[in-house]
Amino acid sequence: MTDYIIRRLLLFIPMAIGIVVVTFCLLLLIPGDPASVLLGQEATPEGIAALRRTLGLDDPWYVRLGGYFLNLLQGDMGRSIFQNAPVSEIIFDRLGATIELATVALVLAVAVGVTLGVLAANRQGGIIDTFTMLLAQIGISMPVYWLALLLMLAFAVHLGWLPAIGRGEPLPTALAMALTGNPAPLVDSLSHILLPAASLALNSAAIISRLVRTSMLEVLREDFVRTAAAKGIRRGPVIWRHALRNALLPVVSVIGLRFGALLGGAILTETIFAWPGLGQLTISAISQRDIPLIQGIVLTFALIYATVTLLVDLLYAAVDPRIRLR
Amino acid sequence: MKTKLWTGVAAAALLAAGAHGAAAQDSLTIGADVDAGTLDPRLARDTTAYRVANLISAGLVHLTPNLEAVPDLAESWETPDDTTVVFTLREGLTFSDGSPLTAEDVIYTFETILDESFNAPQRGLFTPIESLEAVDDRTVQFNLSAPYAPLFSYLDIGIVPSDYDGDMALEPVGAGPMVLDSWTRGSELVLTASDSYWAGAPEVDTLVVRVVGDNSARAQAFEAGDLDVIQSPLSPNDIQRFAADEAVGSEILAGLGVTYLNFNTTDPLLQDPRMRQALAMLVDQETIVNQIYEGVDQVANSIILPSSWAYDEAVQQPTFDMEGAMAMLDDLGWTDSDGDGIRDRDGTPLAIEIATHSEDPNRVQSVEFLQAMFQSAGIDASVRITDWPSFSSGYVQQGEHQVALLGWLRITDPDRLVYGQLTTGGGLNWGGYSNPEVDRLLEAGRTALDQDARADAYRRAATIIAEELPYYIISYQGYQLFYDPEALGEVEASPRGGFRGLIGMPG
Repeated sequence: MTDYIIRRLLLFIPMAIGIVVVTFCLLLLIPGDPASVLLGQEATPEGIAALRRTLGLDDPWYVRLGGYFLNLLQGDMGRSIFQNAPVSEIIFDRLGATIELATVALVLAVAVGVTLGVLAANRQGGIIDTFTMLLAQIGISMPVYWLALLLMLAFAVHLGWLPAIGRGEPLPTALAMALTGNPAPLVDSLSHILLPAASLALNSAAIISRLVRTSMLEVLREDFVRTAAAKGIRRGPVIWRHALRNALLPVVSVIGLRFGALLGGAILTETIFAWPGLGQLTISAISQRDIPLIQGIVLTFALIYATVTLLVDLLYAAVDPRIRLR
Repeated sequence: MKTKLWTGVAAAALLAAGAHGAAAQDSLTIGADVDAGTLDPRLARDTTAYRVANLISAGLVHLTPNLEAVPDLAESWETPDDTTVVFTLREGLTFSDGSPLTAEDVIYTFETILDESFNAPQRGLFTPIESLEAVDDRTVQFNLSAPYAPLFSYLDIGIVPSDYDGDMALEPVGAGPMVLDSWTRGSELVLTASDSYWAGAPEVDTLVVRVVGDNSARAQAFEAGDLDVIQSPLSPNDIQRFAADEAVGSEILAGLGVTYLNFNTTDPLLQDPRMRQALAMLVDQETIVNQIYEGVDQVANSIILPSSWAYDEAVQQPTFDMEGAMAMLDDLGWTDSDGDGIRDRDGTPLAIEIATHSEDPNRVQSVEFLQAMFQSAGIDASVRITDWPSFSSGYVQQGEHQVALLGWLRITDPDRLVYGQLTTGGGLNWGGYSNPEVDRLLEAGRTALDQDARADAYRRAATIIAEELPYYIISYQGYQLFYDPEALGEVEASPRGGFRGLIGMPG
């Protein structure tokens, strides 16, 4: 088990190298350079040329890539061209907000998706089933930015129940304050996160509910379910305890993949709800061609994703005793 | 607007307590479309940076909404000859950290801007400054290499301290009406009233500038009461809705920007001014302005803005005339000889690429509309849409375009839209336009100190440009500001979008 984890962690290294090289090449291919963005539309060609030299953009690609790797080996992700601060610091400042949003969205998606999926499978073709499948269809086909604007229009503008933009205290801080008898920040934080998390979660909830439904329908036809029913166990426990545990296996593996999708979706959601996370940062870094920052963000996203996939694989083994990690 | 009731209560309480002041609320939240890149006024390059830096720092002069230069840190000035300007600073000026502001700081500010390695984006506007001298602590002399009339329109740039140890970009110190309290990159800037500004503290104690990148989301956040003020850029349908809403305070002014077509005059197809005239006649300005932009902009007739003293409505670019355009294309030898619906000459079909950037859906729509008009005139028109950096620095600025649709902003003086852009070899002359007569007139417009002489030079240059069309100006951009009247007191909107008129100071 420990060997397995170490081996998986070592695999991060070639993956990181690959990610850096691919991002670097993509950035070489897209036109537009940070020097001219930095100097604005009224810049002179001489000014741009001078700044390109200062930023080292005129060096050959292998010098730039090699230099980046050398720094990376020393734990240095470089400095942001625009914010004039270390990339690692900028990313670290915003990482919490994105992880918080993605985690809350994932919890929402799993809770809603699994519940609806099980209820739908329980009576195939029934009202709940039809409703769930309709909802899933909408959830899969609705673009996240559109849904986000609709939710904002309904709950912030017309009903006025929730704030439209921004973030409260970080959830862990707010939770700690609530435990010491001050629940106001927690209420504020939750009211801020609800809309972005819900718009981010819908797509994943839809996919998970369909998956759970299919998987449940299969399991419910198995012999051991019939045996359990024949032994006189009531329908509820049969479904939730016996069938669901077996039906959850494919769901666990998809949750890891969904986390990646949530990080991607966060880019749009954060921009709309002015959520101060990595997604918002990604958009501005790309539009400014802030090369070190883009590299750093992509690398961070990749590492988060790889870590989550590893955790999911470990969880897989825990849920299904038949699986041995080697 | 949920917050209205509460701000109303607060206002009543303030009145009851005998509180003075035009602002109904001592804290104000403004929505911005981008975060400031830096807060160093010398390096500002985005609207939020300009606007916030203009609160933290103050310049020698302040530009009124009519773009008149009035004294700010400078109490007065005189011009002993055409190439010398002497400013006298107010007495007892200090920066927000308490250190005195003297002539040395003014000299330091402009010397760093002029220093090439400092990379100030507006450096080009100040290059006619040859040298600066401190006559005494409160007197500074600008020596110009040639008479330079537009100078005053640019002197509102903030003065920075010469001996400041901190990072001006992140922890700025200035002599303006507000000081920076906190800055969460990408999401919000918090400013508080300064007690060191010469004209006294503003009426608003706390100003929050909140970044909401998406135009629709920003409009909705305003509607939900999370923002007290929003301004351009906004989508046309939100503008229509707020302008019609009586509960919303609105200021709709002519802006300081244009949307235009940049013709590459070095392109073999577009070298001939008659070809550019034919294409210009295919631009249906009315439809673009009234349908695509829903009337928030204004149909343009020349390269001079209507708000400028140099404006003359007699200067007239070609207007929409499909038949005239077709006749001109026929005259130029472009006819559909093989009957495939595309004009050709010597066996080459007439193909033209129209480009713009993807960030602005209205520009994309305009370009697609132009494509359709070009096609119905028998031109094989294609469209090229990429993101802003690819479009601007990777394409138009390299002179690789044929016809590009884009804009210029902050045209506080006619010089700013023409000198670098249309003089031979000018740094911003991406379309390679060259006409010695225009060069001469634009030089005259910049160096004549008498405003009538300047206006005359610009009118004559604009007339030639309207005929030769290196630029075809589609529209004069409008500027819109919407606010919650219960959260704000007196509002003095400026087409530059500055924040001073929102915090109870002259706009």
